[in-house]
Amino acid sequence: MTNVQSENCGYGGMIAASLLLLLWLIPSYSPEYPGYGMSATLVPNLAAGFILLLALLGLTRNMLKARRLSRSGEAAGAGAASAAGVAWGHLLRFMLPCALLMPAMSRLGFIPSGVVFMLLVQWFCGQRKPVAMVLVALVPVLTVWALMRFALGVPMP
Amino acid sequence: MFDMIFAGLADALSLANLLFVLLGVVTGMIAGAVPGVNGPMAIALCIPLSYYMSPVAAIGFLVGLNKGAFFGGAISGVLLNTPGTPESAATTWDGYPLAVEGKGEKALRMALYASVTGDAFSTVVLILVAAPLATVALYMGPPEIFALICMAMTIIAGLGTKSLLRGLMAAALGVLTGCIGIEPVSALPRLTLGITQLERGISLIPIGIGMLAFSEIIIQLEQKLRSSQGQGPMNFSSRPEDRFVSLKEYWACARTLLRSSVAGTVVGALPGLGAPVASFFAYDQAVKHSHRPESFGKGNLEGIAASESANSAVVAASLIPLFTLGIPGNVAAALLIGAFVIHGMIPGPLMFEQNAQFIYSIYGSLIVANLFLLAVGRMGLRAFCKVVQVPAAVLYPIIIFTCIMGAYLAQYATFDVTLMLVFAVLAYFMRKFDYSFICLIIGFILAPIWETSLQQVIIASEQDPYMILGRPVALALLALSAWIVARSARQGRVSRNEA
Repeated sequence: MTNVQSENCGYGGMIAASLLLLLWLIPSYSPEYPGYGMSATLVPNLAAGFILLLALLGLTRNMLKARRLSRSGEAAGAGAASAAGVAWGHLLRFMLPCALLMPAMSRLGFIPSGVVFMLLVQWFCGQRKPVAMVLVALVPVLTVWALMRFALGVPMP
Repeated sequence: MFDMIFAGLADALSLANLLFVLLGVVTGMIAGAVPGVNGPMAIALCIPLSYYMSPVAAIGFLVGLNKGAFFGGAISGVLLNTPGTPESAATTWDGYPLAVEGKGEKALRMALYASVTGDAFSTVVLILVAAPLATVALYMGPPEIFALICMAMTIIAGLGTKSLLRGLMAAALGVLTGCIGIEPVSALPRLTLGITQLERGISLIPIGIGMLAFSEIIIQLEQKLRSSQGQGPMNFSSRPEDRFVSLKEYWACARTLLRSSVAGTVVGALPGLGAPVASFFAYDQAVKHSHRPESFGKGNLEGIAASESANSAVVAASLIPLFTLGIPGNVAAALLIGAFVIHGMIPGPLMFEQNAQFIYSIYGSLIVANLFLLAVGRMGLRAFCKVVQVPAAVLYPIIIFTCIMGAYLAQYATFDVTLMLVFAVLAYFMRKFDYSFICLIIGFILAPIWETSLQQVIIASEQDPYMILGRPVALALLALSAWIVARSARQGRVSRNEA
C-alpha cells in the first residue's frame, strides 16, 4: 500500500465513522433538547461534522492530485512510497491474551492466570530461555499480587 | 501570602514528599533509559499509583518522574545511539561519537548538567510568570475561553503534527470521546451505546495507558520481532578527563546553555510544540552560533548541552499554560491534569486563589526534583547505564502486564481494562494511518471545558453564539487560529509540491 492509498483508506474510514455518528449514534444515544441552553447533540454533531468535512477535503485533494499526476504522466510521483501496513496477526497475538486476562483472573485466580499470561506474552516476544521465562513470569505477578493484597488493599479482579 | 509560600514549601520538604519525588526521579531515569519507554508513558502507567499518595506527593512524584525520564532518554541515546525518548535524538548526534571514543560517561555528565541547568531556568521562569499570567487569565469570560481552546487545539494540530487535516480530525475525535457520559445540562447519558459503565464517562487513565504505553509497546514489538538487534555493552575510559566534565568545559558551554534554556522555555510554554522541537531548534542554533560548526556531530559537548538543556527546559515551562489557563502544553502536562483531577483540583487560573499553598508546594517539588536529578545522576550514572542492556523480551511483557494492572487499579474496574485495550487498538491504527493520538488526548481533555464555555456563551447570549465575534480578545484568538490553519495549509502545499 502506498502512502497516498493509506491516506485515502484513513479518510474513507473517517468518512464512514462520521456518517455513522451523524446518522445513527448521535441521534439515537443523546438526550432530547431540554428547552434551554444548547442541545446535547450540538458538540458531538459539530465534531462529527468537522471530521466528515475534513476527511472529504483530504480525499478530494488526493484525488485531484492523482488526476493531475496521471495527466502529466507522473504516475510514480510523490506519495508512491510504501506505507507500513497493519500487522493483523501480530496485533491479534498480543491483544487476545490481554483481552482474556481479566475474565481468566476472575475464574481461575490472579496468580495462575497472571503467570500463564506472562509466559505466553514472553513466548510471543521471542523469549526462549526457560529460567528467565519462569522468573519474569513469577516475580512481577507475585509482586503486583502482594502490592494489591497487602499494601493497597485493592479488591482483586 | 508569605504564610502560604512557607507552608507550601514545608509541604514540599516533608519527608514523605521528598521520598516520593526521589522515587519519581529514579523511576523516571530508569524508564527514560529504556529505549521506547518515555516520560508520558511512565506517567500514564504511574498515575493509578498516585491515587494512594497525598496530592502534593502525587504531583511531586509525577513531576520527578517526568524530569527523570527526560534525562534518562539521553542514556540510551548516548550509549546505544538509540534515543530513549524522541527529544533525546539530537543528543545522540554528539553523544554517541563520544561514547564510541570511551567518553560515554563524560557525555552523560554533560547531558545531566545541561538538563539540570535548563530545568532550573524554566522553573524560575514558571515561578515568576505563572501567577501574574493567571491574574490576567481570570478576566477571561466564556467567549475568550472558548476561543482560546479553539486556538490551542489548532496550534497542537497544526504545529505539533505532520498533517493539519489529520491533526484536527484527531482532535475532533477526542472531543467526541470527551462527550461520552452524562450530558451536563440534562444529566442524562449521552453516546453511551446503552453501556452502563460508560455513563460515568471515560477516565483519562485507560486512554493514556492504552494510547501512550500499550500501543507503543505493540508497535515496537512489531519492529523488534522483524529485525532482531544485538548491542554489545559500551566500554568506558578510566581516564578522569574522559569521565568528568570540568568547570572550564561547562563554562565554555554557558552561552549555549542559556540560549537553549530560553528556547526550551518558550517552546514549552506554547501548547503543542513539545520537547523534540525545542531540542532540534536549540541544536540548530548552537551550530549556527558556534565558531567551530564542523565539530558538531563528531562529539562536541556543546551539541549535547544545547539539546539537553532545551528539552529539559520544556518540563517546567509546559506547566505555564496548565497553571495559568488550564491548557496542557504537552502530553505529559495533559496527563498531569488527570492527576490533578483525581486529587480534586482543576488546573487553571483559579488554582492560584483556591489552592495557592498547593501551587507553592509544586514549585518546591520542582526545585527538589531538580536537585535530586543532579544528585542521583551524579551518583548512579553507571548503574543507570546497565538498564539499557535489559533485553526487550524481559522488559516488554512486564510493561504489558503493568499496563493492564494500571488500567484496572484506576477504578478497580475490569471495564477500564477493556477500554484501555480499545484505545490501544485505536492508537495502533492511528499510528499506522499517521493520525496524531496526542491531538486526540488533548481534544478529549479540553472537550468538557470547551462545551461548558460554549454552553455559557449560548445561555448568556440568549441563543446567539455569534456574540463571540463581538468580543475583541475572542475574535483575535479565533483570527490567530485561522491564521495558523492558513499557514499550515500553505506550508503543507509547499512541502507536497517539493516532494
